[in-house]
Amino acid sequence: MSDLFGAFGLQIPLLIAQAVNFAVLMVALWYFLYKPVMKTLESRKQLIASGVHAAEEAEAKAAKADDEAAKVVHGAETEAEGIVSTARESAQSERQRIIKEAEARAASVEKDAEARAKEDAARALRDSEKEIARLSMLAAEKVLRTEK
Amino acid sequence: MVGVDLVSATSTAVATATAAVVHESPIHVSLKAEVIGHLLGFPITNSLLMTWIVMALLIGFAIWFRGTLKMIPGKLQAAVEWAIEGAYGYVVETFESEKLAKQFFPLIATIFLFVLVANELEFIPGVGSIGLFHGTEFAPLLRAPAADLNFTLALAFISFFTIEITGLAVLGGLKYAGRFVNFSSPVNFAVGLIEIISNLGRLVSFSFRLFGNIFAGEVMILVAGYFVPYLLPAPLLGFEMFIGAIQALVFAMLTMFFIKLSVTDPHEAH
Repeated sequence: MSDLFGAFGLQIPLLIAQAVNFAVLMVALWYFLYKPVMKTLESRKQLIASGVHAAEEAEAKAAKADDEAAKVVHGAETEAEGIVSTARESAQSERQRIIKEAEARAASVEKDAEARAKEDAARALRDSEKEIARLSMLAAEKVLRTEK
Repeated sequence: MVGVDLVSATSTAVATATAAVVHESPIHVSLKAEVIGHLLGFPITNSLLMTWIVMALLIGFAIWFRGTLKMIPGKLQAAVEWAIEGAYGYVVETFESEKLAKQFFPLIATIFLFVLVANELEFIPGVGSIGLFHGTEFAPLLRAPAADLNFTLALAFISFFTIEITGLAVLGGLKYAGRFVNFSSPVNFAVGLIEIISNLGRLVSFSFRLFGNIFAGEVMILVAGYFVPYLLPAPLLGFEMFIGAIQALVFAMLTMFFIKLSVTDPHEAH
């Protein structure tokens, strides 16, 4: 056995040294290589996941905003329609009112004019009756004077 | 068990070939890593020095890389992330448990990276060829870590103890021991014995598979380079680089599969 060891140069101190070498290398590579790389991979995975999550959230938010905008537009349209229709209705009633008022005024003006015309005619008749009476009196006076 | 036989057969073949070559030819092959110095009485071998260089490169890269990590990755970061995420996903799939995967991913990934970089760096010119003469004996300054049984056996022990301790911790002492020592029937007793041998055999198969592949590759390139110095070594180098990567993968994946086996309850597995 020791011959075999001698032939291959096996020495316990060298065996231990190589085992220690391996242990040192393993710890160093674990600390400087595997752990940081794994951590980078993990944090990148999380970053991507959160990015995807944020993008999905933003998409949902955008969709919601779109919905809201459509709703607002729709509401505005209905409101505008309502306003227009009420405006039309009130305009209609206003027109009717104005027409009615104008008709009423026209009727009253006509009535007034008629009354005034009647009065004028009555006054003219009275005046002309008075004039006729005066003139006939003057004529009678003249006749009487000449006959004397 | 076939794997063990194959591996030991190749390594004995290499060993005899090496023994024959060492004395009569100018090709210098050493089965063991050469000691290039001592630090406070501790032997420093060329493969240990190379191991430290591999570690320094890996840790240096990791520290530099951590500083450049960004949320939006560049090309290099994307590649590293792809590799780590892919490997981790595969470990999770094999263990069928996020918790186990988290616990063992550093071990499995480090085995792969350590062996891979150690195997590929050996092809840098100068490794194995720049060295010092001690008298007439030539000792290269750097040697592929996996071409030293100390390195592969240390990894095999780590893998072995991880597998056994995990099984013990997950299944519980009695249940896990029952896998090896079982008196419920003669067949189960024999199965238990086979289980003990196959688990212990992993120490041999893990260490000699990696050592044998890398050492044999070095010897092959050395011999080919001696006889046909031009052209032939190039495809062999490419092939050996491929072998180096495959062996790193094999060591890491087998460790993972054996851990999975050790935490799987034999009665619930079917």
